[in-house]
Amino acid sequence: MINSYILLRVYVLFQGTNAFRVLVGLTMLWLTQEVAASLGLILTSWAVRGITAAAAIIIIVVFRNEIRSVLQVRNIKTFLWGFPSRERHTPIDMIAETVFHMARRRMGALIVFPGHRDLGEMIYGGITWNGKVSNEMLLSIFWPNSPAHDGAAIIVDGQVTEVGVLLPLTHRQDLPSYYGTRHRAAAGLAEVSDALVIVVSEERGSVNVALDGSLTPVTDSKALSDALKKHLKMSQISPALMRERERIKFAAACCVSVLVMTGIWFGFTRSQDTIVALNVPIEYVNRPANYDILDTSVDEARLQLLGSSALIKSLGQGQVGVRVDLSKAVEGRNTFTITQDDIVLPPGVSLNKIQPTAIDVTLDVPATRELPVQADWIGRLPENISLTDVKIVPETVKVAGGSKTLERVNTVYTAPLRLDGLTKSGFVSSQIVLSPPSLKLASSSSSERVTVHYRVEERNPSEKK
Amino acid sequence: MRSPAIIILAFCLFFLPVSTGMAEEQATGSAEGTQKLELKQAAMSERVENLTPIHPGLVFPVSAGQVCCFSSFEPVPQHTVIYHRWFHRDELSTQTRLRLYPPKWSTYSVIQLRETDKGPWRVEIIDQNGRIFDTLRFSITE
Repeated sequence: MINSYILLRVYVLFQGTNAFRVLVGLTMLWLTQEVAASLGLILTSWAVRGITAAAAIIIIVVFRNEIRSVLQVRNIKTFLWGFPSRERHTPIDMIAETVFHMARRRMGALIVFPGHRDLGEMIYGGITWNGKVSNEMLLSIFWPNSPAHDGAAIIVDGQVTEVGVLLPLTHRQDLPSYYGTRHRAAAGLAEVSDALVIVVSEERGSVNVALDGSLTPVTDSKALSDALKKHLKMSQISPALMRERERIKFAAACCVSVLVMTGIWFGFTRSQDTIVALNVPIEYVNRPANYDILDTSVDEARLQLLGSSALIKSLGQGQVGVRVDLSKAVEGRNTFTITQDDIVLPPGVSLNKIQPTAIDVTLDVPATRELPVQADWIGRLPENISLTDVKIVPETVKVAGGSKTLERVNTVYTAPLRLDGLTKSGFVSSQIVLSPPSLKLASSSSSERVTVHYRVEERNPSEKK
Repeated sequence: MRSPAIIILAFCLFFLPVSTGMAEEQATGSAEGTQKLELKQAAMSERVENLTPIHPGLVFPVSAGQVCCFSSFEPVPQHTVIYHRWFHRDELSTQTRLRLYPPKWSTYSVIQLRETDKGPWRVEIIDQNGRIFDTLRFSITE
């Protein structure tokens, strides 16, 4: 569902843009590559993969402005949740009337209505305006004495965003000779973009619309209105019907997204053609608070998993686990049979076999015990020397661990102490070695080191063996 | 438990207490009932000769071949039994049953040493009720 939503968001944000159309093409290329790979056409698959990768980079470079405008303009809420609908408040009829008003008064004008493509790299100059479009504003902008009357005005969503903008000129030779720079600029922008440009002739008072590289004369305001509405995708239908159509379109997009992701999902998981064996550490969960785990028969289980090769290959750490629930365990030895419920697997992967099928877990009650410390001598005393007395400070240490374990332990030992070369009485400091390792010194009450005081005596030579 | 192959001289003492001459004195006292059995001396040694520990110590090399736990009781109010329990690293290795005779008695147990016996040992001297008279700690080394 998450993947479906991501796909839907990509559609919602990029719909209508050229980048989206190219993205669809890219997806088709990827599908071709997958089909080729599944048919065993290795070379074809590699070639298509290379083309797809190169195309993806080229598309990012070529459509960077469009992609940036999609990703930047909208806020995070719009990005994740909103449904960007185009402003429908551009007063088309008023603009058309004003254009013909200017034509009658022989006021030259150049008005640009951008399409989907970003015009940033095609136009230059310009003064930021950001004023709500009105009859008076347009007249004042293109008034011959106005400092901004040269160049084009750009209208987006009912706002004059820029004025005095310079447009690229066409290089066409077939235009009528009476077309001046204004007409050539309108045709030039229409050639390189999907914008609609209205040009009003100062000399003849005619109105032309430049779109898709061609200049078309417009004779009345109604025709101009229709052309603008068509360009801005504003139909004559009622807003309620428009909203209804939008809803239907969106619902269809939702369904397609879910279907596409479901198709991809089943494509990946349909074939259970791969078996893999994994050693997975066993997690013991819900241990009763008053017990410690004293011993377990195994620490990891060997799982044999079944799934499609793509899923099996992408299995990562943490996606597979064996969790044994100890909530019903009692003191002493407990045997748990591992069932399907104890195994955590990602969707699409199933369990074929597990070993072992049962686990023994021994629980114990935490306890402490005071234990004597004994020196663990190693090496060899010199022949004529005898170790006659040993005193360890402290004599005992407090050890914490499972009560059953502590019952079996009656002595703790020092780390091995070497006897070689001992000729005089003295003392040595040593660490305590606790065995089994589950035992610990009770915190703060016991030192980790002890001092071993020893006394050696020379043997009477006559007593030698 | 340690292999029966280990020579436990104490068994000899158990079966032939009088003939080996280890009984130091025969019962003479009349106040047996009021006295309490007490350990007078306990020591680890390489040998015991004439009821005296020879080369007592706390470290014995495997090359010594054997190690003895000597114990001497006085008074011994009545004929009784004690045990020498030998532990190697907290694992009971062997247990020797020894008879005591009034009025005082010295006795010992012995184990033969092998390479695998290296490490820390302790011997608990206990009565038949489990009361520990003493614990002797020593090491078997190279």
